Amino acid sequence: MRRVLRIVTRRVINAVVTIFGILCFNYVLIHLMPGNPEANLAPHNPQYAGFLQDNIRTFGLDKPQWQQFLIYLQNTFTFNWGISYFYKSPVADKIIPALAWTLLLVGTSTIITIVIGMVIGSYAAVRRGKSFDFISTGVGIFLYGMPIFWLGLMLQLAFAKGSIFQQYFSWWPTFPLGGRIDEDPSFPPWAWDWTHISSVLTHLFLPALTLSLGTLAGVSLVMRSSLIDVMTEDFVLTAKAKGLSDRQVLRRHIFPSGLPPMVSLIALDLAFVVGGAYQVEWVFNYKGIGWLTIDAIDHLDFPMLQFIVVIGGVAIVLGNLISDFILLWLDPRIKIT
Amino acid sequence: MDATEVSVKRPTVSPFRASLTVAVKRVKSVWVQIYHSRSAMAGLVLLLFFAALAVAAPLLAHYPPLQAVPSSQCSTFTPPLTAYQLPCSQYPLGTNAASDDIYSQVIWGSQVSLIVGILSAIVASVVGTAVGLVSGYVGGWIDEVLMRFNDVILSIPWLVLMIVVAAKVGVVDLTGLVLVIGLTGWSVTARVIRSQVLSIKERMFVERAKMIGTPSWRILMRHIFPNAFPLIFANTILTVAVSILSEAVLSFLGLRPTSTVSWGRIISEAIDAQAVLNGNALWLIVPGLCIVFLVFGFYLFGYALDEILNPRLRRR
Repeated sequence: MRRVLRIVTRRVINAVVTIFGILCFNYVLIHLMPGNPEANLAPHNPQYAGFLQDNIRTFGLDKPQWQQFLIYLQNTFTFNWGISYFYKSPVADKIIPALAWTLLLVGTSTIITIVIGMVIGSYAAVRRGKSFDFISTGVGIFLYGMPIFWLGLMLQLAFAKGSIFQQYFSWWPTFPLGGRIDEDPSFPPWAWDWTHISSVLTHLFLPALTLSLGTLAGVSLVMRSSLIDVMTEDFVLTAKAKGLSDRQVLRRHIFPSGLPPMVSLIALDLAFVVGGAYQVEWVFNYKGIGWLTIDAIDHLDFPMLQFIVVIGGVAIVLGNLISDFILLWLDPRIKIT
Repeated sequence: MDATEVSVKRPTVSPFRASLTVAVKRVKSVWVQIYHSRSAMAGLVLLLFFAALAVAAPLLAHYPPLQAVPSSQCSTFTPPLTAYQLPCSQYPLGTNAASDDIYSQVIWGSQVSLIVGILSAIVASVVGTAVGLVSGYVGGWIDEVLMRFNDVILSIPWLVLMIVVAAKVGVVDLTGLVLVIGLTGWSVTARVIRSQVLSIKERMFVERAKMIGTPSWRILMRHIFPNAFPLIFANTILTVAVSILSEAVLSFLGLRPTSTVSWGRIISEAIDAQAVLNGNALWLIVPGLCIVFLVFGFYLFGYALDEILNPRLRRR
C-alpha cells in the first residue's frame, strides 16, 4: 500500500509540474508572438476603447514582467480571464460552454473508438495471418494516415443532400454538415426534449464518425500487437494444454495480461485525438475548444489565446493521470517510470 | 627448443574494409527481409511512384504551378473564362480562381510534400535523438528536466503548438515550414530513443567499455548510438509520414508560403471556391488522395522496417 501511495504521489507531482510547465510555456509563447505583448493584450484601437483599461488592470500590463507572470498564474486559477476582443465578452464565458461541447464530441468518439478498436484488434489477433487480420490492419493504417480534415470533407461530400450515393440509393441518409445544433431562429430555445437531443445527435454524427475513423487504428493496432505478445507466453500454452477452449483462454488468460499496456498506449494516443478534434471542429464548424482556438489564432485574439491553449494541455495531462491510476488498479506490479 | 615459425599467408584486411563488408552484409540481409515482406514492398512501390512523380514533374506538368492558363475549347462559360473551368481534356482537373491548371499543381505538389516531409523529419530526428541520447545516458537531474519539458511539449495539442509557432516564425518560405514542423515534432522520437538508450546502457559491452576508462562521449557515439540507429532510422521514416500530414494541415489552415503550391493548399483553395457546389469535386478529391497514398506508403514501409530492424519487436 505504501508503494502504491508513493507512485500516486509521484504521478500527481509530475502532473502538477507538467501543468505548471504548460502555463509557463504558453506565457512565453504568447509573449513571443508577433508584436508587442502589451499592445497585443490591450490594443489601442478606438473600437476596443472600453476594454482597454479593463484588460490593463486584469493582466497587470503596467507592472514589470515577473509580476505580470504571477498575475497570469493567479488569473488562471481564479477564472479571471479578461475580455476577448473579437467577441467583446469575458473569455471564461466563451471557453467554458465550448469545453462542454468538445467533451461531448471527444468523449463520444473516444468511447466508440475504444469499443470498436478493441473488438477489431482482438479478432485480428486471434485470426493472425488470415485475411481478416491483413485487411483490418491495412485499412486501419490507411485511415490512420488520412489527414483528418480531408476525411471530414469526404464524409461531408458523401452525406450531403443530393450526394452521389443518394442519386443511386433512395435510402441513403443525409446529415447536417456543420454546427452543433439546429441554428434556425425559429428553432425553440434549449430544453431537455427529444427535438433538441435528436438535433444535437444528428449534428454530432459526422464529426464523431470522422474522429473515430481517423483514430481507430491507434486502438486496434495496439490491441492486436499487445494480445499477440501475450499469446506467445508459456502460460497460454499451459492453459491450452489443460484443455480450455480457445474462448476461455482468450477471456481468462490473454485479456487480463494484454489489457494493461493498452491503457497507457490509449492515453498516449490522447494527444493525437485532441489534435484531430481541433481539425474536425474546424471542418464541421462545430464551435468547441478547437474551433475557438483556431479562430482566436486567426484573429490574434490574445486574451483568448492565453488561456485556451492551456485547456487542451491540461485535458491531456489529466487524461494521462487518470490512465495511470487505471493502470495501477489493473496491474499493481507496475514500476515507476 | 626453438619455436618454429609457421608462416600462414593471411590476407590482411584494413579495418575500414572489414567494417564496410559487415555493413554491406547487413544491408543485404535487411533488403532480403524487405523483399519478402508484402507490406514493405507495397509501401516501397507507393513511395517510388511518388518519388518518380516528383522527379518527373517538369515533364508531366503542363504548366508551372502558378501561371494563368488560356481558356480552353471546353470552357462552359460564354464568353470563355479562364478561371474556374471544369475538368476537361485540356485541363484534367479544371482551373482555379487564379486560372492555374490544377492538374499541374497536383503534380508539382508532390515535390513540396516530399521535400518538406523528409527535411522536417530529419530535423525532428536529429533534435529528438540528441535529447533522447543525453537524457537516457546522462540521467539524473538533466534527464528529469528534459523529460518534464518533453511532457509539456507532448501535452500541448500538437496542432496548436505548431500553429502558434508558425504564426511566430512566419512561414514565408519552405525553410520556415520545415523548421516549424521539425522543431515541434521531436518529442515522441526523444521519448522512444531515451527508453532504448536506457536498455542499451545496461548491456555488458557498455559496462566493459566503462571499465577500461572509455570517456562518456565515446561510449555514447561508438557504442550506444550505433545500437540505437536502426530504431532511429525506422522512427524517422514514420516521422516523415507525420510531417507530411502536419504540412497538409498547416497549409489547409492558411499557414503556408505564398510562392509554393502544396496539396493542402489546393484543398484549401477548393473549399474557398466551393468546388463541390460548382461541380468540380475532383479538385477536392485528387490532392487529398495523393496525401493519403503518400502517407500510407510511408506508414507501410516504416512499420515493416521497424519490425525488421528492431528484432525485439519482431513477431515471435
